[in-house]
Amino acid sequence: MEGLWTTQVGSLPKPRALAKARTDYARGRLPHEELAALERKYTEFWVDFQNELGLDIVVDSEMYRGDMATFFAETMEGMEISGLVRSYGNRYYRKPIAVGPLKRVKSFTLDWWQFAQSLTDKPVKGMITGPYTMAEWSYNDFYDSQEEFVLAMAEVLHEEVVDLEKAGAQFIQVDEPAVSTRPEDLPLAIRAMAVVVDGIQATTGTHICYGDFESIYPKMLDIPVDVIDLEMANSDYDLLDLFNSRAPFTKKLAMGVVDVHSHVIESKEEVKAGIYKGLQVVPADRLYIDPDCGLKTRTVDEAQAKLSVIVDAVGEVRQELGLDNA
Amino acid sequence: MISTVPGNYPKVANRPGGQKLRRAIASFDRGRISAEELASAADDVTVEVISEQERAGIDMITDGQIRWQDPVTYIAGNLAGFDIGGLIRYFDTNTFYRQPEATERVEWQKPILVRDYEFARDNAAGLVKPVVTGPYTIAKLSLPGVYADLKSLVLDTARALNQEMKALAATDAPLIQVDEPAIVWHRYKDDWGIFREAMDVLMDGVGATTLLRTDFGDAVGLPDFFALPFQGFGLDMVHGKQNAALVPDIPDDRDLMLGIIDARNVRMESEDAVLETAQWVTQHVSEDRLAISPNTGLEFLPRETAYGKLENMVRAVKKAQEAVA
Repeated sequence: MEGLWTTQVGSLPKPRALAKARTDYARGRLPHEELAALERKYTEFWVDFQNELGLDIVVDSEMYRGDMATFFAETMEGMEISGLVRSYGNRYYRKPIAVGPLKRVKSFTLDWWQFAQSLTDKPVKGMITGPYTMAEWSYNDFYDSQEEFVLAMAEVLHEEVVDLEKAGAQFIQVDEPAVSTRPEDLPLAIRAMAVVVDGIQATTGTHICYGDFESIYPKMLDIPVDVIDLEMANSDYDLLDLFNSRAPFTKKLAMGVVDVHSHVIESKEEVKAGIYKGLQVVPADRLYIDPDCGLKTRTVDEAQAKLSVIVDAVGEVRQELGLDNA
Repeated sequence: MISTVPGNYPKVANRPGGQKLRRAIASFDRGRISAEELASAADDVTVEVISEQERAGIDMITDGQIRWQDPVTYIAGNLAGFDIGGLIRYFDTNTFYRQPEATERVEWQKPILVRDYEFARDNAAGLVKPVVTGPYTIAKLSLPGVYADLKSLVLDTARALNQEMKALAATDAPLIQVDEPAIVWHRYKDDWGIFREAMDVLMDGVGATTLLRTDFGDAVGLPDFFALPFQGFGLDMVHGKQNAALVPDIPDDRDLMLGIIDARNVRMESEDAVLETAQWVTQHVSEDRLAISPNTGLEFLPRETAYGKLENMVRAVKKAQEAVA
């Protein structure tokens, strides 16, 4: 039997030289070609790392993205970017604004997916931010309702997913971290996802961040994707109890087993214990193992150490269970 | 009918020199400036946002809560008993606060907002109101820690903030506003009994004009809401559309602060729509008991948009004043 595939949620840390180059570029001190060259260099660095580590499904590492909503908004017709808004403490970001009919003018991620795939024989996951989250994390100065905004966004993102599949992506992840913040909007998020993945044969997935799962489970299983990717480690796997007590988890589960907000590197035993907890609820052939969320807020060393411990732990569990992944 | 604001105002502006406070905080975090220098930068920006609110024509302003990191920790962190912990989402917004935890008995130590109020008053031409985050919201958004249940934490926090209310009542503030968004949040309404008891504790012996403001939801399903011991009530008409049904119930001797400008989206309200709402509400509330306001604090918007929305609101309020005069 096959099972317990290792993967990643999406982002990886930008090495210091790239972070500096992004700032310099933003201030007009660095030409775009030089920034792009560094983005390619570190994409290659991360794909090589994942390859050598032996991750089953690789990500492009998002070296070219800033914020997960702004990146798509900047490349889309009908969206503008706001002035600074505070998110917490001394952290500010620029929020997208819908100002006209949304339209995809060029692919958002296809070039990067193709570049990353050219560097490895492992499947590279196509990754986009979902329509509900894109709209939820933007202002709306154009559409009459939030529903209209979300569904228009879904049409735009559908084109991207079609392109990724055509290019050969076997896994496509449409992230909806905002879904857990307003449970009453779940039906809208489900409808929008159906538009995004309409007719897609590739394995589809979505990542939802930790939030009010009490209110959206088991209804969230109606999101029309194959895999749901969830944070588990930083809440001590309490979601598994919810699956046990309320309704069985019927999809494939990508389970976060390392906390992306902590500098501490989990021990192999800790991660193995987490995997075994997951196996009590979802069988190995429906279980993917990954970090809780994107690792971009960790240092390069921490991210590498956290991924290494995942691969080590999964390797041992596979052996203990006699799993034989081709 | 007056124009007012709920509380916070964007701390940075998108113009050269507009990020003074952000830079000062970053320098302070790196140990490059002292706490006094940081406080002085916060004072400078406070003066700036006071004059900005007045320039927009707001009749009763706040100090913009420039020193507040979030709606919870500025108050909780200055009470004894709370430790400030990790980041957590603030209701359904895309902003976060540090979650306090009651690690000891919660007690009031010293005035928290008196100096801030007096500083703002001294730098304002018109009226300024201090804003206190209420005990229920602080306790509900915190971890109970050493407390066995929510109720005992809420009531101790109410006792502590009763001292703060009395300290503010001893100033010349024209109004003390208490913010309690959590009680209208749809999942917390079962706590109504605890809430009512807490408001009695909070207001015990407070001799001042006070207003209870809510946002992010409606007060439907909270029996005798307008019987709470406050002179006025603030309602969010954008995220609490059902509040419209309550407006006719407000007793004749109570004031109403109506949050009708959407402070969570950049879209400008049409003057006509604001005017229409203002005219509708004056059928139920006498004009001299009415304040028009954005529905939430303005920090969800870029500074320039916040200012534009206030100017727009003031224009509409002036028209409404003429229309009902």
